[in-house]
Amino acid sequence: MAPIIQISNIHKHFGSVHALRGVSLEVEKGEVVVIIGPSGSGKSTLLRCINRLEEFNSGSIIVDDIPLDSAKNINAVRTEVGMVFQQFNLFPHLSVLDNVTLAQKVVRMRGKVEATNVAMRLLEKVGIPDKARAFPSQLSGGQQQRVAIARALAMNPKIMLFDEPTSALDPEMIQEVLDVMLNLAREGMTMVVVSHEMGFARAAANRAIFMDEGQIVEIAPPNILFSTPTQDRTKLFLSKVL
Amino acid sequence: MSLSKNTNDPHLPTIPGNENVQRFDPWWWMFFAVIGLIGLLAVIRPDPYWRILKFVKDGLGTTVLVTVITFLLVLVVGLFGALGRLSRLKFVRGFTTVYVEVARGVPLLVQLIFWYFAFPSIIKDIGEALNIRAFQTYLANPIAMAVLGLTLCYAAYMTEIYRAGIQSISKGQMEAARSLGMTYVQAMRYVILPQALRVILPPVGNEFISLLKDSSLVSVVAVADITRRGREFTGITPLPIETWTMIALIYLTMTLFSARIVGWMERRTRTER
Repeated sequence: MAPIIQISNIHKHFGSVHALRGVSLEVEKGEVVVIIGPSGSGKSTLLRCINRLEEFNSGSIIVDDIPLDSAKNINAVRTEVGMVFQQFNLFPHLSVLDNVTLAQKVVRMRGKVEATNVAMRLLEKVGIPDKARAFPSQLSGGQQQRVAIARALAMNPKIMLFDEPTSALDPEMIQEVLDVMLNLAREGMTMVVVSHEMGFARAAANRAIFMDEGQIVEIAPPNILFSTPTQDRTKLFLSKVL
Repeated sequence: MSLSKNTNDPHLPTIPGNENVQRFDPWWWMFFAVIGLIGLLAVIRPDPYWRILKFVKDGLGTTVLVTVITFLLVLVVGLFGALGRLSRLKFVRGFTTVYVEVARGVPLLVQLIFWYFAFPSIIKDIGEALNIRAFQTYLANPIAMAVLGLTLCYAAYMTEIYRAGIQSISKGQMEAARSLGMTYVQAMRYVILPQALRVILPPVGNEFISLLKDSSLVSVVAVADITRRGREFTGITPLPIETWTMIALIYLTMTLFSARIVGWMERRTRTER
C-alpha cells in the first residue's frame, strides 16, 4: 500500500527566506512521526503544507492518494486531515459543544443529534464531558487543547497534525494533553507531531525527524536519534534542549 | 447561580465585572426629558407647537423610512465592500479601494445632488444617443435617488468598519475553520463574522445615528423629510425659532433613542459571555 502522506522535494519561499529546501518525506498509515528542530527550521511550515494552510512553491504532496493541486482536492484533503494548533484556536463565541459540532454539521452534513452524539463521545474520550456547555474562555489551557483535539477528531480524520500542541501550556497541564495524544497513537492514528516533548516521542513515535534550515537532517527511531545522533547539527541542538 | 443570589446582601462588596447586569440605563431619563419637553410645549402653547408637529408629521415617516432602508442596504453593501478590500485578487481589491476613496472623498451633499440632478440627465443623454425610449422618458424618483446616494456614501465607511472588524479576528480562527474543511464562505459565516460583528457593534451604531442626522440632507433633493417639511412650514408661517427648535428636538429624540438601543445591544452581547 502506498504511504498515506507522500511529500516529494517541496520548496517554500517567504519573500527572500528559503523556508523549505527540498523536503521529501513519506509517512505510512498508522505511523507516528515527531519532528524536532530549532525555531525557524521549517518544521511548522512543513506541517502546514500537508493540509495546504501554507502554499509551497514547487514539489508535490499526495495525501491519501489525493494530490494537493486543485481547490477541490485541498478541501477534500482538509476533511481527512485534522489539525491541532499551538494556540488552540477554539471558536470563542461558541460553547465547547458547538465548537465540536459546527464543522460536523456544515461540512459533514450531519444532523444535530448525530453531531451531538459524536461530540459527547469525543469529549468523554478527552476527559471533559462536563464542560460541554462551557465557553472556551472558561477553560484552562489544557482543557482548551483537549477540546481542540476533540473538534478535529469529530471529522473522523485519517491523519492528525499537531503543531507544537503543548508549547503554550503551563507545565502542569502538558501531561493531560500528551495522555490524550498517547491514546490516539495507541489506537493506530497516523500522526505527525511538531513537538519537543521527548517523553512523548519515546513513548509513541515510530520515527523522529530532526530539521534544520529548511531541510531534514536526520531521521531515526526516537531512542536512537535522541541518544546517539549521527549528525553534528543534531548533536548540537540536542545538547541545548536536553 | 448560587453566587448571584448573594449579591443582594448589603455586606458584600461590589464585585467588579458585575456592574453591567444593572437593569436600567439612567441615560434613558434624558430621552424622556426631551420627549416631555416636546409634549409640554405642545400642550401649553398648541399654537404654534402643536401645529408644527402636525405639519411635519408625515416628514417624520419619510426620514425614518429613508434612514432604515439605507442602513439595511449599507449593512449588505459594506460587507461585500469589506470582502472585496480583503480579496486576494488584486483587481477586486483595487476596485473596492477606488470606490471607498471616491465615496469618502466627495461631500455627501454633492453626491446626493449628483444622483438626483446629474444622473437622470446622463441616462437621458444615453437614451438620445442610443435611441432607447425608456431612457429618454426616465424620471428620477427622489426617495430612490436619495437612498442610492446615501447608501453609496455610507457603505464606503461601513466597508472600512467591517474590514477592521474582520481583521481584528486572529488569523488562527480562519485557519482552524479551514483546516476542518470549511469553505471560505462557511468560515466567514460561522466563525469570523459572528465575532467581528460583536467588535464592530459600537461603530456601526454610530454610523446609524450619523446616517439618521445626515438624512436631513435629502431635503435638498425633493424628498419631503422632516427638515424639508420644516422649511415648508416656515415658508407659510414666519416662525423660524419655534419651527427649528421643534425640528431639532424631534431629531434629538430619535438619536437619543437610537443611542440607548445601541447601548443596550452592546451590554447584551457583552454579558452573553
